[in-house]
Amino acid sequence: MNPITRGVRNAFRNTVRTGSIVAILGLSIGLALTMLVAQKAVDNKIKSVKSSIGTTVTIAPAGFNPGSSANNALTGTLLAKVKSLPHVASLSETLSDRLPTTGATMPSFGRFGGGSSSDSGSTTSLSSPVTLNTNGNGGSRFFVNGGDGTLPTNFSLPVSFLGTTDPSTVDGSAITLSSGKTIDGTTAANNALISTQMASKNNLAVGNTFTAYGTTLTVSGIFTTSTQSAQGTVIVSLPTLQQLSGQSDVVTNAAATADSLDNLSGVTTAIKNTLGSNADVTSAQQQADDTVGPLNSVKTVATFSLIGAMAAGAVIILLTMIMVVRERKREIGVVKAIGGSNLRIMLEFMAESLTLAVLGAVIGLIIGVVGGQPVTKMLVKNSTNTDTATTQTTTAPDVAGGTGRRFGGEGQGRAFATRFNQGFRRNGAVQGISTIKTEVGPSILLDGFGAAVLIALIGSALAAGMIAKVRPSTVMRAE
Amino acid sequence: MLEVKNLVKTFQSGDTKVQATKDITFSVPDGQFASVVGRSGSGKSTLLALLGALDKPTSGSIVVGDQDITTLSDHQLIKYRCESIGFVFQNYNLVPSLTALENVMLPMEFAGVVRPERLARAKKLLEEVGLETDQMQRKPGRLSGGQQQRVAIARALANRPKLILADEPTGNLDTETGKKIFDLLHNLSRTEQATILVVTHDLAIAGKTDKTFRLEDGELHEETTKQ
Repeated sequence: MNPITRGVRNAFRNTVRTGSIVAILGLSIGLALTMLVAQKAVDNKIKSVKSSIGTTVTIAPAGFNPGSSANNALTGTLLAKVKSLPHVASLSETLSDRLPTTGATMPSFGRFGGGSSSDSGSTTSLSSPVTLNTNGNGGSRFFVNGGDGTLPTNFSLPVSFLGTTDPSTVDGSAITLSSGKTIDGTTAANNALISTQMASKNNLAVGNTFTAYGTTLTVSGIFTTSTQSAQGTVIVSLPTLQQLSGQSDVVTNAAATADSLDNLSGVTTAIKNTLGSNADVTSAQQQADDTVGPLNSVKTVATFSLIGAMAAGAVIILLTMIMVVRERKREIGVVKAIGGSNLRIMLEFMAESLTLAVLGAVIGLIIGVVGGQPVTKMLVKNSTNTDTATTQTTTAPDVAGGTGRRFGGEGQGRAFATRFNQGFRRNGAVQGISTIKTEVGPSILLDGFGAAVLIALIGSALAAGMIAKVRPSTVMRAE
Repeated sequence: MLEVKNLVKTFQSGDTKVQATKDITFSVPDGQFASVVGRSGSGKSTLLALLGALDKPTSGSIVVGDQDITTLSDHQLIKYRCESIGFVFQNYNLVPSLTALENVMLPMEFAGVVRPERLARAKKLLEEVGLETDQMQRKPGRLSGGQQQRVAIARALANRPKLILADEPTGNLDTETGKKIFDLLHNLSRTEQATILVVTHDLAIAGKTDKTFRLEDGELHEETTKQ
């Protein structure tokens, strides 16, 4: 019989004591595993939230007040500095404007953003495909300031114009070109992209022309989009709109993309430092940090509990093995007297310790599998209940946007920021912040057994030292 | 040949030094059955521990065969205890979790003897000491004192040692069983060609051995040899 077999057998010498030790150890390992399950589940959730936020940093003019007729502006010159920052993969710049339809009568719109859209007197030959009272069912969802509260008979919503260096998106939503070709966002040219709805409303096809700012523009391409906002928007290149609207070098919004999620925080800080008080710079990083804050607390609690449970398990084994060695001191002396080496005896005791730990691990695994999900849910629920309200508020900070003639009709900046934040909140990973799914896969099982082995090794270390110190002559002195 | 020269063992007891063995010198030729007699506290067990390499002497030499065991390293001492020495204790000192058979096999396992060989030899030895087959599978707790001592003797002979050291082997047994155990030891020393040194306070037993040493307060006073 080898020392391992003897050690395993020795573990069952006193079945009552073994049973008690295994039960306590099982609880300890079970708690450790439960905390490990919780920690991994929370960690996965945090990663999922962070990976869902993207790497975009939004830049808007500082302190933009939609109600004000004068606001700060971003300039292409300023943004050129951003473009050259390390880890900035790309930078898209936009200028927003809107024009009333030639011949349409415009009331003053309360809910839809202040500011006249006819400050410059420019108009467009296009009519917006977007009509009022189309959102939602029943009841009027708009109001008109002044007069008798009704719309003029020849009313048409203003047409939004978006000058952009990235003509593939409108306010962060991707568009799909259905006919024609796209435009170069960085070159001034009197070409435009319009939506299928806009084309249909105005009987336009690729190659047809329309007027805006007293200039004739050619339809280069027609796109499809899922948002009504984009349906009512004409896309031109940034230099074109700057030129047509007389806002040379002016940019109302920009979005920088970091080359990786790891660099997002650094890029955000670098942009803030570069633009200083000229701009409000936000990224989803902070929002994600705020959102995952409660999860981080749970992770910390789980980590400390895991360490505590592991330490308790190690102490249980340690004390048990010390007790066993003291009890069998004479036996150890006998085995040494008849030629047993320290190593063999230590192996025997380690096997005994490992047997107890593995038995404890089996009980612990059952506890971990059964208790992992409910404990994790409870921890997360308790933690997020107190923080959700705060998180929901802080995830939607005001990002400058605006209305007004010079900074884009219906407050493109605010609209973009709001949509961005709402989109972030609506994101599955973020919305289900308290919905944690635990998994007890092979890796957790291996970790559990690994923990048991570690506990056994730590627990038998001191016992091994005691064994080494037992002199074979002990057996004679005890005679 | 067991040859002991100027053997001294000193223990520290508080502030004072206690000399357990004082300049002991004696020898026992190969295959002889010798005894050391003395009263309790005379240093008999200390002498046995030194001869069995369970303890290290303060000075002096112990030569077993052609090897001075006082010069051996710890690793060599383990090998020496395993292969050259057989111990029989007063309290038997069998491993309680092992059966009689496993107890006898244990020293052979330490010596690296393969399982079939150690199983066969352990059975043979247990038969020689008079243990029944069913008793071989019993743990020490289910054996009588005499049976346990028989197992201990079989264990001591397991690796065919040059020297068997027995510490009061009949001390816990009744007279009849004690006599049988003594006779068993005597006979086995003949068949196994081992030198046996028995420590006892029983002069009757000592009188039956080939050579007797008297130990008093750590000093070897007199020596009698059978003609």
